[in-house]
Amino acid sequence: MRNARAVVGQPTPLIDGIEKVTGQAVYTADLPAEGALVGRILRSKEAHGRIRRIDIEAARALPGVRAVITGADCPLTYGVLPIAMNEPVLAREVVRYRGEPLAAVAADDAVTAAAALALIAVEIDPLPACFTAAAARAPDAVALHADKPGNLEREVHHRFGDVEAGFAAADFIREHVYSCAEVAHAQMEPHAALASFDPERGQLLMQSTSQVPYYLHLMLARCLDLDPAAIRVVKPFIGGGFGARVEVLNFELITALLARASGGTVRMVLSREETFLTHRGRPETEIRLKLGITAAGRLTACAAEVVQRGGAYAGYGIVTILYAGALLQGLYDLPALRYDGYRVYANLPPCGAMRGHGAVDVRFAFEAALDALAAEAGLDPFALRRANLLAAPTETPNGLRVESYGLGTCLDWVEAASGWRARRGRLGPGRGLGMACSHYVSGAAKPIHWTGEPHAVVHLRLDFDGGITVLTGAADIGQGSSTVMAQAAAEVLGVPLARVRVIAADSALTPKDNGSYSSRVTFMVGNATIAAARALRERLVAAAAVLLDAPEAAVEDAGGQFHAGERVASFAEVTRAALAREGGAITAKGSFTCPEPFQGGKHRGGAVGATMGFSYAAQVVEVAVDAETGAITVEQVWVAQDCGFAINPLAVEGQIQGAVWMGMGQALSEETGYESGLALHASMLDYKVPTILDSPPIAVHVVESLDPNGPFGAKEASEGALAGFPPALAAAVADAVGLRMDRLPITPDRLLEALAQRARAGRLARALEVA
Amino acid sequence: MEPLAPFRVLAPASIAEAVAAAAAHQGARFLAGGTDLLVNLRHGIGAPGVLIDLRSIPELRRLGPDRGIGAAVTLAEIAAAPPMLAAYPALIAAAASVAGPAHRAAGTLGGNLCLDTRCIFYNRGEWWRSATAFCLKHRGETCHVAPTGHRCHAAFSGDLAPALLAYDAEMRIAGPDGLRTEPLSALYAEDGAAHLRLGPGEFLAGVILPPDPWPAAYAKARTRGAIDFPLAGVAVALRTEAGSVAGLRVALTGTNARPFLLAGTEALLGTPVDAAWRDRLGRLVQKQVSPMRTTLAAAHYRRRVAAALAGRVAAQLAEAA
Amino acid sequence: MQMQPDAPPAAPRRFRLNGRDRSVTVPDHALLIDTLRETLRLTGTKQGCDGGECGACTVLIDSVPRLACLTRTGECEGRVVETIEGLARQGRMNRVQRAFHEQLGTQCGYCTPGMVMAAEALLRRVPHPTEPEIRAALAGNLCRCTGYVKIIAAVQAAAGEG
Ligand SMILES: Cc1cc2nc3c(=O)[nH]c(=O)nc-3n(C[C@H](O)[C@H](O)[C@H](O)COP(=O)(O)OP(=O)(O)OC[C@H]3O[C@@H](n4cnc5c(N)ncnc54)[C@H](O)[C@@H]3O)c2cc1C
Ligand code: SF4
Ligand code: FES
Ligand code: FES
Repeated sequence: MRNARAVVGQPTPLIDGIEKVTGQAVYTADLPAEGALVGRILRSKEAHGRIRRIDIEAARALPGVRAVITGADCPLTYGVLPIAMNEPVLAREVVRYRGEPLAAVAADDAVTAAAALALIAVEIDPLPACFTAAAARAPDAVALHADKPGNLEREVHHRFGDVEAGFAAADFIREHVYSCAEVAHAQMEPHAALASFDPERGQLLMQSTSQVPYYLHLMLARCLDLDPAAIRVVKPFIGGGFGARVEVLNFELITALLARASGGTVRMVLSREETFLTHRGRPETEIRLKLGITAAGRLTACAAEVVQRGGAYAGYGIVTILYAGALLQGLYDLPALRYDGYRVYANLPPCGAMRGHGAVDVRFAFEAALDALAAEAGLDPFALRRANLLAAPTETPNGLRVESYGLGTCLDWVEAASGWRARRGRLGPGRGLGMACSHYVSGAAKPIHWTGEPHAVVHLRLDFDGGITVLTGAADIGQGSSTVMAQAAAEVLGVPLARVRVIAADSALTPKDNGSYSSRVTFMVGNATIAAARALRERLVAAAAVLLDAPEAAVEDAGGQFHAGERVASFAEVTRAALAREGGAITAKGSFTCPEPFQGGKHRGGAVGATMGFSYAAQVVEVAVDAETGAITVEQVWVAQDCGFAINPLAVEGQIQGAVWMGMGQALSEETGYESGLALHASMLDYKVPTILDSPPIAVHVVESLDPNGPFGAKEASEGALAGFPPALAAAVADAVGLRMDRLPITPDRLLEALAQRARAGRLARALEVA
Repeated sequence: MEPLAPFRVLAPASIAEAVAAAAAHQGARFLAGGTDLLVNLRHGIGAPGVLIDLRSIPELRRLGPDRGIGAAVTLAEIAAAPPMLAAYPALIAAAASVAGPAHRAAGTLGGNLCLDTRCIFYNRGEWWRSATAFCLKHRGETCHVAPTGHRCHAAFSGDLAPALLAYDAEMRIAGPDGLRTEPLSALYAEDGAAHLRLGPGEFLAGVILPPDPWPAAYAKARTRGAIDFPLAGVAVALRTEAGSVAGLRVALTGTNARPFLLAGTEALLGTPVDAAWRDRLGRLVQKQVSPMRTTLAAAHYRRRVAAALAGRVAAQLAEAA
Repeated sequence: MQMQPDAPPAAPRRFRLNGRDRSVTVPDHALLIDTLRETLRLTGTKQGCDGGECGACTVLIDSVPRLACLTRTGECEGRVVETIEGLARQGRMNRVQRAFHEQLGTQCGYCTPGMVMAAEALLRRVPHPTEPEIRAALAGNLCRCTGYVKIIAAVQAAAGEG
């Protein structure tokens, strides 16, 4: 690869991969828990209601039951955003969705725990419930939260540039409503937690399937009213997340409360059904989009009205609705934007952040509209994109900084690789090609909790053995971030990768980290790792200078050795000298903070969407459509992504493939469904994650724009390509059968219905002609 | 998820022992591969204290002699296309299309033919079902799919039955009255809560394929390529003479509470398979299937796709003839 | 044949597990996944769903992939059971494991034990599978991370064709 160096830029198997393929990797549910109590949660069967009574006496009296708790045991609410912490750990006074925790037990074994749940008597007076955004916004709808009349969690009205003038200048305008079903992360590992409480010391040890161990620490301290110093959070191996675990979840807090109530260790393993009920997926979204272009294909203005059905509690909702508006920008040169966003409460499991947070559904609408406009204006879809490329460095009208921009190169590659020019429109009946672009942030530039601390801190430890230990709070949840940290440290220190080990996310050992979300880890923690490695290197060079009897400036390091002229000292010798000089084990610290100018526009909510580097992706999707069954087969995908620089090209490819594929699931088959608020999708059979038989080859090309601020030039690599798939697929379907599908997922039944409708309309038109 | 309710497993060594075991244990259930029964038991649907494992009966595990297939023969064995089944490609295709490889390694012919019916309100854990006050099929009073009616519309979703029906296979039933042989179609009733016509203590011992089968094929529609039940499955057996259809049997699964043979196919004999013929077949299918809202996919889709697949499979057979 | 259903339920079950003869005393309704994970503390076999829907629990019984969550421990009597922990030899990964590691056929690793076992069974049966054969053999195993692309590459590499 063009920019590869000794360690970074080299395809590198995961440093914890051997554990994963040999079955030695210990996930939360695998943790040894000899004698642990079994935790179980009693969940509401009502969608909305006032709790009249929860009687736990009989359960408490059952032999083998060690603790029973209800909302009365935890008066404090929790939530990821300090301004919207409105979720009770266990429902208090009101239940707001079917599946909401009401009570929990810890018992000697699973059979006793189940029996105890059955003994809890619950009386709830039902309240009217709303299950759609429209019902929740209706004038007579009952408010889920007293402080949010009209069930409006947040409305956003942003205007940038002269939208009216833009539409007036447009030669072609498309205005259309697009809708996207709610989807779920469906990470393969069901939620689990193991909590031990030591009543003598008042200390809690918590291990959980979390992407955000530090937030978990914060919420445990808050909800259990504990001194943070009494809490230790350790992250085991995590079986995926995709955003499902990017905020603290009720079951984690419940497990800790049970551990304290029982004075022991409680293991809670949620079923797949409960994991779906815990939810935090991408909300059902309706987008009314108006887009204008000139005859030459220049974008003139965009107006978007977005309604997200957020579920019963706030979660990340405010951020999601802000992202949806902000990330309409940053991909193309869009001179004017009007955005009206509405985040709505409903009596359903709470939505949250999911891969491509906030950007995916609006991108579907935007790219689908572009595809339609291209057809109307007689422009090639590629030409239309090329007419609107940004020129980095630049700042968008809503205050997003773009420092590196490889979208043009991405377009060139996918256009050539897919044979677009020769093949599009010429594949024969039922076959088609479609394309779309997308982008995503490399970490939110402004952290949720503004403490004045750096955005990322890494410690490097060096001791007598000459091994380098990276201590990071960043949670590797399968994306391979620990490998990236190890590579970065090895590169800067000039040591082989095998010399570096990573200890990640143990609050007793590792520096605080905000967590694995918004693709922040490689960018922020990567930069912090580089800083720490440089700091350590300086100290080694100082020791080497003494050892080699040369000025520091004359010392060079290469291949794990230090030189000054002819003289050479090995890494081990220099380590010994440094330890002696510094009085034992050395810890070097590195940190990273996004500078103020990158932290977004000054308007309300302007911090959301701001980042130091956007990734860019373009993709072409080839489909075959079976017009008799409505089945869509994705034959092949070509995707190019500008990730700045691929620190680990192997993992970058894997992340891009995973992202494209997850976009495919959302585009083709995945959706949640509710029957009066009861989840119909709550199993791996009903939630249709594509199987290997449904999954196409995905050819990946990495574009390296070398971002000036990224670690070695790197940016985000695992979310950006997701959002491009659904619109590229819809465009390919349009190419294949001439129908523009405006609703996700494009399931066989929807496509067949649309084809049948067109046939009916055609027959009617012909009949009218005859008549 | 609730812990699995305890049960004992009996392993009879012969058909007679199995019949005796069933007679001795009221409420016992027959167990084969368990890929359906154990899922339901894990969901808390029923709690039989005794399971009678039919796989321990050597006779039931036999492919052959002649054209007999024992009920405990696995789907994987059938999908592996043994020479004995060379003339029955629709059966092989149906078996190969079930679930995933590990399911097929465990799942059996008998379990597939006696598969419980399926519904979005039924194939759920205990908490979920209790949140809907259960339903007519199990423990409850109303059907959530058709609340004004009095019967269950849960869909039979096994893949092998239509193929065997199209071949006009017979079944062997064992029970307190000994063994009897009947057409397979006699096994099923159009009632989602009682779709099998098996008397107390009776079980399926096997099926017998007819000699000289008509050319036949099987196709199914589902959302995913695996780990998915058929939304509609169609088997067609079609014989032509001089380019015209001389014999036709069409069997369907996934659309009704039972798999069934399409009635009225005589009207389609004597003409070649062309677009008009396919339309007529499609209309016949659409008239006789009655999918209800028992799947996440729309019911009208199952109706439409059943018709489309029937026409497609018939056309392919006619073309190959 | 045992006809007394009310007798005490737990009984010894003998089978060969990862090359060793084992005996566990569990009731008839004990599921293999629980016996492996809870009784024998072999936690490499994963539970990804509430029964039969994901393939994460795939183990080999007599070299055939089976779902440990839908298999009774009692069924294993006298048979050869292999789990992910049984593939490595003296701490060295076998070829399928090595290929999954080197080709990034694993990301979060949660589907990996089941995937590797299903792939191992395929390669024992078909040493040089075609891509459709690989897809067919892994069709019952869901992965949420990889999009399966590198999983296919890993199986091809393990077969010596990568
Ligand atoms: C995720 C998933 C996907 C699936 N997809 C499909 C699919 O696509 N197509 C499909 O057809 N099936 C599917 N199945 C269902 C099942 O795996 C197969 O139908 C299988 O063939 C059932 O056989 P079994 O031996 O495992 O049945 P068991 O579970 O052992 O038994 C099923 C039922 O039949 C009864 N029974 C078994 N044998 C007899 C007998 N000889 N006489 C009388 N009663 C008997 C049992 O008491 C029980 O009620 C799927 C299952 C799962 C979990
Ligand atoms: S069709 Fe009606 S009665 Fe039958 S399982 Fe479904 S809801 Fe229950
Ligand atoms: S755990 Fe999902 S199939 Fe066994
Ligand atoms: S690697 Fe994560 S589910 Fe497959």
